[in-house]
Amino acid sequence: MAVMPIERGKIREYAAATGASRPEYLDDPFAPIPPTFLATVVFWDDLPRVFEFPETRAACAAIGMVPDVRRLLSLEQEYLFHGEILHAGETVSTGLRLDSVDLEEGRSGSRAMVRFTVTFTDSAGELRAECRYTSAFLATVGRSV
Amino acid sequence: MTTPAFGVEPGQAFAPREFGPITITDIVRYQGASGDLNPMHHDDEMARNAGYPASFSVGMLGAGYLATYCTELFGARSVRRFRTRFRKVVYRGEVLTAQAVVRGTRGSGGDARVELGLALFDSSGAVVVDGSAEFLLGEANTVGIGGV
Repeated sequence: MAVMPIERGKIREYAAATGASRPEYLDDPFAPIPPTFLATVVFWDDLPRVFEFPETRAACAAIGMVPDVRRLLSLEQEYLFHGEILHAGETVSTGLRLDSVDLEEGRSGSRAMVRFTVTFTDSAGELRAECRYTSAFLATVGRSV
Repeated sequence: MTTPAFGVEPGQAFAPREFGPITITDIVRYQGASGDLNPMHHDDEMARNAGYPASFSVGMLGAGYLATYCTELFGARSVRRFRTRFRKVVYRGEVLTAQAVVRGTRGSGGDARVELGLALFDSSGAVVVDGSAEFLLGEANTVGIGGV
């Protein structure tokens, strides 16, 4: 868990970096976050620790692979928002949980699909946003690389 | 049932928007903003050693362009769900084109939503990022639609 302030300057920087020019992002002291802004959680929380969770290691061991973050590929991210969109001036607490680990057979070999969720809870205890990540560990089972 | 609601109906598309040509500055600026400092996105030598012709753009930058495109259409405070999937590596010099199509609408009143299919194409027409999203359709959120 980490405490993450939603900062106006960070929103302005992120908006500019993604080609957004709406005045809500650039000029509002209580600017709303852009849809993918919570990717910046990595400044505050160490997400790869999800791969060190005992349940992650156990789930990986059950399909015969050892998680290696050097072989990790981010495939998909889904953001869900609840209630008012988070805005500058708010502070959220993050949570991290493993959802599933599955073995998938593809054309280029086996891969372990790891799904995990980051939660964002406001100071009133309300869940305001979630980010669901789908990542893959490549070439892990039955291949010598 | 294809009930038009709020001036939005299934199959409706919107004027596309171009981003780029993508420069190393665009990539580095996004990396600094997002906190993803993976050198594969700015270190050509490292990328070549890994078998790529050059360093390549960040998947989440393409996702961010799609997000920008959507918020221009449906407002900055109305996103409820935003999902993106990375499909193809993007190199410097590419011009990317964002498109959205209405898949449907659901809900009613203050929770009426538009469901969108999203795609970001490179100059060859290949999809580099795709996804889906839901935005609220409140009156204050549809300012971007009228001009399309």
